[in-house]
Amino acid sequence: MELNGEQLIAAPIPEVWKGLNDIDVLAKSIPGCEEISRISPEEIHAKVMFKIGPVRARFSGKLLLSDIVPDQSCSMAFEGSGGAAGFAKGRSRVELKAAEGGTLIAYTTEASIGGKLGQIGGRLISASAKKIADDFFQKFAKELGGEAVALESGAGDE
Amino acid sequence: MKAAAFDYVKPKALSDALSLLEQGGDDARLIAGGQTLLATLNMRLSEPSILIDITDLAELKGISVVGDKLRIGALVTHTEIEDSDLVAKHAPLLKAAAPHIAHRAIRNLGTWGGSLAYGDPAAEWPACSLSLQATMVIHGPTGERKISAKDFFIDLYTTSLEPDEILVATEIPLAKSHQVFYFHELARRHGDYAVAGLAAVAEKEGNVLTQCAFTFFSVSTTPVMATAAQEILNGQPLNEGLIAKAVAAARKEIDAIADITNSAEAKTHLIGVLLERSLKHFIA
Repeated sequence: MELNGEQLIAAPIPEVWKGLNDIDVLAKSIPGCEEISRISPEEIHAKVMFKIGPVRARFSGKLLLSDIVPDQSCSMAFEGSGGAAGFAKGRSRVELKAAEGGTLIAYTTEASIGGKLGQIGGRLISASAKKIADDFFQKFAKELGGEAVALESGAGDE
Repeated sequence: MKAAAFDYVKPKALSDALSLLEQGGDDARLIAGGQTLLATLNMRLSEPSILIDITDLAELKGISVVGDKLRIGALVTHTEIEDSDLVAKHAPLLKAAAPHIAHRAIRNLGTWGGSLAYGDPAAEWPACSLSLQATMVIHGPTGERKISAKDFFIDLYTTSLEPDEILVATEIPLAKSHQVFYFHELARRHGDYAVAGLAAVAEKEGNVLTQCAFTFFSVSTTPVMATAAQEILNGQPLNEGLIAKAVAAARKEIDAIADITNSAEAKTHLIGVLLERSLKHFIA
């Protein structure tokens, strides 16, 4: 599955960068986030409860950051396990650019979802991922005191 | 697989069901036909601690004509809709759509309200309720409220229903004599979820359509109305040129989302195919 998009956040780049690296801001922005902790500057562990339609799946996972260029970009690898529900893993790249009215966040993500969630939920997995990403940016923008404007987001299955 | 352990209650009154739902919070789940929920529980994709069986609630049952509306209770099964004379007379779109829902065994148990409350973007009833300008009747701790279908479906699997509310029934304006209906879906096999589908309603005089309501489903995160195409069609004589214009507009205005086997481009193409078929059906 691929998930790419661009979001305009009404805040200057340093603030957005700080927010993306602040686990308290992330804890409030990630939909269903129950626990989040920073193990090292490059490693974050989290527990997240995904609620989509009839499905309730609690994932515990870790996020490894790399290629960090402050105020510009970073890459991350993530993997999570949802117990009986299945697992997810993938890579994402995030870039920040100055834009009129704030900061443009561009992201590209490649993820694979396995186990029962992959088999049963496969039909709507892209739409679900897009909804979670949109929810995240809405909440994230609110944390920074503004609104998120989705400029472009698309999900596809490859 | 088998579901994790849960408690089960079957209240006799709507007020009891509402207070049980309020107490249970997110650990409580309503069950009616169970055609989505039970599969999810058995796969352990959800583990609620209590199921509230609402199938004894009288307020949620039956199909009746109330004033100028057809009232369909939330517990009415797909089969009851398929076989109902009242539905055939007053909401023929629903009768046309019912056979497309899964298979008979599922239609015997699955309910009208369950399908609407889940808001699956590939489901037939949400799309039909939009085209028919249905009104949802909802009960919650503070009493009854009504909301139109167009404000009810918000996002993927997300409706305006609050966690402590129950969808009780739906009211649909009775079909008028000059109204025309068309329902079709394109699926790989009969009973599969549609790759793309269309629930269409319009008023027809001669070869002119007005009050067009063309709702596509299984193409986006909610059922979606082709408002630009409808505007092109309303009040204009229907001919090949107008059909081509409406088809192009519908393909342009709906931002189709891919699913696991079909690309967004394929869905966009099928939106046009369905619209063209419906308009040729109306003209014939």
